[in-house]
Amino acid sequence: MRSYPELRPVRWDALAVLAVLALAAASALLLWRAPAETGAVTAVISADGEERERIDLTALSPTTITVESRGYTLHVLLSEEEVRVTESDCPTQDCVHTGAIHGSGQSIVCLPARVTVRLEGGAPADGPDLVIG
Amino acid sequence: MKVSKKRAAALLAAVCLAGMLSACGGQAEEPSSRQIFAMDTAMALTVYGTESSAAVQAAEEELMRLEALLSRTSEDSPVTALNRAGGRQTVVGEELTALLDAAGTYSRKTGGAFDPTIAPVVLAWGFTTGHNRVPDPEEVASLLETVGMEHVHLDGGTAWMDPETQMDLGGIGKGYASDRMAEIFRRYEIPRATAALGGNVLAWGTRPDGTPWRVGVQDPRSPEDSSALACLLHLENAFAVTSGGYQRHFESEGQSYHHIIDPATGYPAQSGLTSVTVVADCRRDDAAGLPGNGTMCDALSTALFVMGEEKALDFWRTSGLEVELVLVTEDGRVVVTKGLAELFEEIEESGYRYEIVS
Repeated sequence: MRSYPELRPVRWDALAVLAVLALAAASALLLWRAPAETGAVTAVISADGEERERIDLTALSPTTITVESRGYTLHVLLSEEEVRVTESDCPTQDCVHTGAIHGSGQSIVCLPARVTVRLEGGAPADGPDLVIG
Repeated sequence: MKVSKKRAAALLAAVCLAGMLSACGGQAEEPSSRQIFAMDTAMALTVYGTESSAAVQAAEEELMRLEALLSRTSEDSPVTALNRAGGRQTVVGEELTALLDAAGTYSRKTGGAFDPTIAPVVLAWGFTTGHNRVPDPEEVASLLETVGMEHVHLDGGTAWMDPETQMDLGGIGKGYASDRMAEIFRRYEIPRATAALGGNVLAWGTRPDGTPWRVGVQDPRSPEDSSALACLLHLENAFAVTSGGYQRHFESEGQSYHHIIDPATGYPAQSGLTSVTVVADCRRDDAAGLPGNGTMCDALSTALFVMGEEKALDFWRTSGLEVELVLVTEDGRVVVTKGLAELFEEIEESGYRYEIVS
């Protein structure tokens, strides 16, 4: 096979290969690190599937938020450490009995009011993505 | 000079391409999430991929359609029509007949431990109304006469039941819904997703980092603390369904009664188990609207809870159904079948003893 001199690899080619590799590595790094950098835990309060509030819990001093939905009123207490429903006029009181949640992925549900309080973000935990039972 | 310009252009193209790829990848991994209230429970969907919002929309519409189809409390559902027909043959449609047929199959396979006609007895205990009471033995005995799939008859798209028999598909409805979710994810070519439909989980694909989804099994001893787990399962392309007596119960005269009624006795199953989790593969290409492994897991989780440890493990060994189990016992053990041996993680602080059985 004849070898064309202009097809032989030269220093420039090596540089191009290196540049592409470096870019690929940089993109990969960006992609890998992106989810881990979400940092703070956020409480997301939804009613009837619609998002009502999104609260960053970082350095949050205890705050109560009132959620009204389907004729019921829930009082949600949020702080840096935990989130709980302190009071609700729903008939089942499951939301109140759930107690405090503190880790990403945990949630409180009030079926009669169709309200959910969910914690999102935070460090990629060893904890579960979801819980059954 | 000409050549180096070309090279510069090629380098620029490479930069652009790399940039596009990373931007594209970043967007694809941004999930669409939705909370849906349907079938008397709170459901959560998290769907990844370029078609995620369309898939979530389709999933929500499907869940609403299933609620209308399967509800026994809504006035105009085919299940209500069947329950009110007083023995007359009723057109319920092909889809519902297929589900009733599947219910019959799992009822037979489990020797009646799963039975969707147990509703009148559950009602007598007040679990469907919230007004709990302990019915007297005569009442239970007379209600039990209406219970059993032998009272249910199917023909084409029609069904009829012996008078007094009542149908409640609550024991497989959410499992069937998770079958339908898997079908939607397949249709929209969704790479990864989770669907939590009240005790029924679908772990589709893997996590964004390529590792299996981490699915916690609730510790039945602390049902109100969702951070208390009996074990952690690493699942990929799987259905997982948990049934436990802790999910609904009441106290009367110092005695605790839970909502999983043994169809053989009419009383809450006293089987020595506190929860049963059934796991099966979710990739089926022939589902095409038919009840699949999600439906199966839902039916079996209730049935195996009723059976108790020994019978449940016998069933696992001999039924020929491809399922794996996690049984949590009253005496503080977590019994895991060997197909899950590499996929489960002990929770040290839970205090449970772990056993793998084959």
